[in-house]
Amino acid sequence: MPSAVPGSETFPALIARIAAGDRDAFSRFYDLASPLAFGLIRRVLRDPEAAAEVLQEVFWQVWLEAPQYDPKRGSPEAWLVMRARTRAIDRLRSMRRRDRTFVAPLDESVARRDHGSAENPAVMAEHRDLVQAALAQLPEAQRRVIELAFFEGLTQSEISLKLGEPLGTVKTRARLGLERLRSALRGERLSAT
Amino acid sequence: MTRDEISELAAAYTLGVLEGADRARFEALLRASDAEALAALRDAENTLVDLAAAAPAPPPPAIKVALMERIAAEPTASRAPDPVHPAPSRPRALWPAILGGAMAAGLAAVVVGWTVSSTYEKRLDALAHDADQLKVELRNQQAIMAILRDPATQVVVLAGLPPAPEARARMMWHAHTGGVFVVTGLPTPPEGKAYQLWAIAGSNAPVSAGVFSVDANGTGSLAVHPLPGVSTVDAFAVTLEPTGGLPAPSGEMYLLGKS
Repeated sequence: MPSAVPGSETFPALIARIAAGDRDAFSRFYDLASPLAFGLIRRVLRDPEAAAEVLQEVFWQVWLEAPQYDPKRGSPEAWLVMRARTRAIDRLRSMRRRDRTFVAPLDESVARRDHGSAENPAVMAEHRDLVQAALAQLPEAQRRVIELAFFEGLTQSEISLKLGEPLGTVKTRARLGLERLRSALRGERLSAT
Repeated sequence: MTRDEISELAAAYTLGVLEGADRARFEALLRASDAEALAALRDAENTLVDLAAAAPAPPPPAIKVALMERIAAEPTASRAPDPVHPAPSRPRALWPAILGGAMAAGLAAVVVGWTVSSTYEKRLDALAHDADQLKVELRNQQAIMAILRDPATQVVVLAGLPPAPEARARMMWHAHTGGVFVVTGLPTPPEGKAYQLWAIAGSNAPVSAGVFSVDANGTGSLAVHPLPGVSTVDAFAVTLEPTGGLPAPSGEMYLLGKS
């Protein structure tokens, strides 16, 4: 991914150029990074129009807030992904508030959702399998916590209520789940290359 | 705090599920640039980047077209208002300049929109978008005028507290139509932070009136919609919170004013 991009087109260099108002840099950064953000947003929001709006807001935020990006605090990818996550979950929560009869289908594994992408279905399926495989390697209880938090936007108290588990247990599972997910994803990627 | 506890907080923070005292505790560590907390946060964030990177999805091309139009139409000196989220970083001048500034911005958008359309006939979509933005802007201005004309409008002056003693703010507040908040002299919020305005009525919990940022001069403004269930407000306060705001205040208070 980004590390393969040479010289002035690394993500940090592009962000620095965007901060200076360089529209070409923004265009380039969008081309390189939008599939990353959009993949995530689409998994949180099933409505394609809402997902498209959120992606636009996220990149508008990138344009506005590039001058505040601090490389010491994390990579541009993390900066982008955290924004995409926050906006997508905000939208999900506000959609739920608007429509109080809406019941999230919490019992399906969100990782199995259709991404609705028509482009290169084989590659998409392979990526999906990767996430699914990584999530599947987690113990069921940890996987549920990660999915409910990250993809459904539930708070820890809500997860604790939903699963009937003490709050402390939910907190520990979030940490353990994320740690294992990390090694699982790293392992999958290494073995895939 | 043990390393495990810090990792736990970082994981929950990254997943967006850290609440209340835990959240305040972790954010205090981040503010203090605690090395372990920052490292734990980076680890957790990178895991989520890996998760996202494992299943990318190419967005529909129309989004990029719309974004590039939006950026092209933005005046270089100031950044255009976001029609969905009323301009947290819009560099608005002092209160008396708001109306004039908004009109100039509107006029600039019209001129830019017109030039663009005459040059590129295919950009009708962009014009429709501009028109929508102008309608939103116009509605905002009409709302402001209505608030100013109404004798029931309260004017609350907020004074700076120890974190920003030189900060000053004013809230024009009307229970039925909402209000306008303007502020000067606030420091630029750190990365990941924004100011949040709270309405306090009686002994009820503070109600969020929105999130805003300030420009390089410490100046900002916020259009506030009527707050459900809040009629008479006893005080307005501003705290520093994570970008996007929280349901209840957790950070330091920067401004306070009683009506």
